[in-house]
Amino acid sequence: MAPRQPSLSRRELVKAAVAIGGSAALSACLDREGGTPTSPGADPADRPARQHAWNDALATDDHGNHAFRSLERAFAPGNDGLLFTIGYAPAYFDHFDASLPESVDLPEPEALSSFEDPASDEPDAVVHLASDRGSALLAAEEGLFGETDAVDGVEMETTVEGVFEPASLADDGPHRRTGFVGDGLPAENQDVSGVPDSGPVPEDSPLYMGFDSGFEKNQASEDRVTIEAGPFAEGTTQHVSKIRLRLDDWYGEQDHEERVAEMFCPVHAEEGRVEGTGTNLGDSNQVDEGCVEHIDDHAAEYGRVGHAQKNARVREDGSPVILRRDFDSTDGDEAGLHFLALQAGIGDFVATRAAMNGTDQTDSPAVRQRVNNGILEYTFVRRRGNFLLPPRAQRSLPRPDP
Amino acid sequence: MVLPGTATAGDYRFALLLATPHRFWSVDIDERFETPIEESDDVHLMASVWDPETGTVLPDSGFSVEILRDGELVSQEVIYRMVSQRMGFHYGANFGLDGDGTYTARLSVGGVSARRTGAFADRFGDGETADIEFEWSKAVRERLATEQLDAAGERGALRPMEMGELPEARAPEPAALPGTVLGTGQSDDAKLVATQLPGDAARRFTDGNPYLAVSARTPFNRLVLPAMGLSASVVRDGETVFEGAVEPTLDPELGYHYGTVLPETVQSDDEVTLDPTTPPQLARHEGYERAFLQMDSTTVTV
Repeated sequence: MAPRQPSLSRRELVKAAVAIGGSAALSACLDREGGTPTSPGADPADRPARQHAWNDALATDDHGNHAFRSLERAFAPGNDGLLFTIGYAPAYFDHFDASLPESVDLPEPEALSSFEDPASDEPDAVVHLASDRGSALLAAEEGLFGETDAVDGVEMETTVEGVFEPASLADDGPHRRTGFVGDGLPAENQDVSGVPDSGPVPEDSPLYMGFDSGFEKNQASEDRVTIEAGPFAEGTTQHVSKIRLRLDDWYGEQDHEERVAEMFCPVHAEEGRVEGTGTNLGDSNQVDEGCVEHIDDHAAEYGRVGHAQKNARVREDGSPVILRRDFDSTDGDEAGLHFLALQAGIGDFVATRAAMNGTDQTDSPAVRQRVNNGILEYTFVRRRGNFLLPPRAQRSLPRPDP
Repeated sequence: MVLPGTATAGDYRFALLLATPHRFWSVDIDERFETPIEESDDVHLMASVWDPETGTVLPDSGFSVEILRDGELVSQEVIYRMVSQRMGFHYGANFGLDGDGTYTARLSVGGVSARRTGAFADRFGDGETADIEFEWSKAVRERLATEQLDAAGERGALRPMEMGELPEARAPEPAALPGTVLGTGQSDDAKLVATQLPGDAARRFTDGNPYLAVSARTPFNRLVLPAMGLSASVVRDGETVFEGAVEPTLDPELGYHYGTVLPETVQSDDEVTLDPTTPPQLARHEGYERAFLQMDSTTVTV
């Protein structure tokens, strides 16, 4: 798919342009999205200490340093403008003699089940850019890496050119990854490997698997995922994995009710709690204490357990301990998920993933290691990486012992 | 059936086998669901995985296959644990391919879910992945089709295939089981052989108590039946002296079996009841499509 094809819809063109990247893609994108900046950012000094403080900016809606500050001047924080973070891997901190303080829980990435063998992503750093405007993503990328002197009319004070270069990752991992989240986008982009040719992804689904996912009450708050103490207080940790989706059997062998049982909880299916993509559930997936307490009974009675039901076992004061900002992808022309989660320490993610493995539930013989066990049959973890998102003040090349 | 190759990775040895697309029945608790052959299916891909040191076939794990051609993804699926008359326990599924040529099947086994004992305790906890290449061509298809015709029309349980170095997923003859065989129960054609290991021979399972092991197999060819829910009770003079779940276990000497600690030694005239609470959660090939589904409890008097 090339951006010059005139028949592309605006959304298709923007998606293709972001996937390709570069200045030609940026100008194609600007032509379609309107060439002028929508809303330049205000004074970076007004930004919050937390890089990952996105929720207010997303819903409605600092300290000092160079290239990133220029981006903050160029774009208002929010989905119309640009949200971004920079995170640093354990491999980056290994360049120093000093070690990270104990208040930072940042192990090297590893396999988190006995049935996955992910490549470890160990670049020095990862930049996460998010916007509804493809041109903002492309312009920010161009600006950061010195391909352009000005972004949305704001001059770049400096760039990271010469400091960072595209990472060389294990098993030819792509150093640049793209994706999308939002009602209708997966359906528009389902002509990829991993999704049956019949085009089963619901028109209004925000994700390939056909259900809403970011229920507000089933996300940790930004406060919960923020590092509380130590030199990186107000920072957070980020887990980034690449998951290949194989949805032939998800859509081909199962009806809506069976998918509800595996995504949510068998009782959700039995009681018909989930209509369509689950918008009717409101601000919570309604996986309640009953679903959690009776998970082993459900395994025995229904022969399967739900994905959300398993994960809900890791709640703290009724809330999950990770904040998901994952998005679907067609990178490599295959249906995929860039699973990106923030948590106060990587251990919170590891605990959540351990619950998702449903190992105890396989004591019921109908629940297999990856069959009838949530969505494990359809998801294949390809890569994992762990990163520290320092507070804004230290986001530029932090030392492990600031 | 053709055997394109075997490969070793970590503790595991893998074999890849190809056959014509098969209809099979998956089983959830006691219901079965037919998986018909689809137009897009080219091949029934099967995999066997075993311990090269002991030749023990390793059931009760998860298994997935990624099919690549020239490094490009053709398919990737979790495949199902199955039982067939000719292969016994294996993993399998039907796949569509992308024309004639050389393919790579990347076989991935997860860690064994069953409890592991003895020399197996520290092995098979983690999964492994191995690549095996296979050719897809007119010659291969003709060979598969001819073989299927030869196999048609035979009655009763087909003889399991003998396939060179591939170990068979067979349970030992009762007389070859360790311990004292208490008896053999029968439940919907499956044979459940109960053996008791005295405390001093059961140290890898118990703290000195005797151990009850139940070996479940098909009636004629002793093909191992894993992935079953099983409970047992021991009644002496009308009084229940033991009642409890019997846990899937992989042991180098007993093989795959169901086992539990006994509070005391089972004696002569005791009644040992074996109750398959969940039938083997295995997809069935043709020939076993109705087998081992309505499994009632069975009692042996010692």
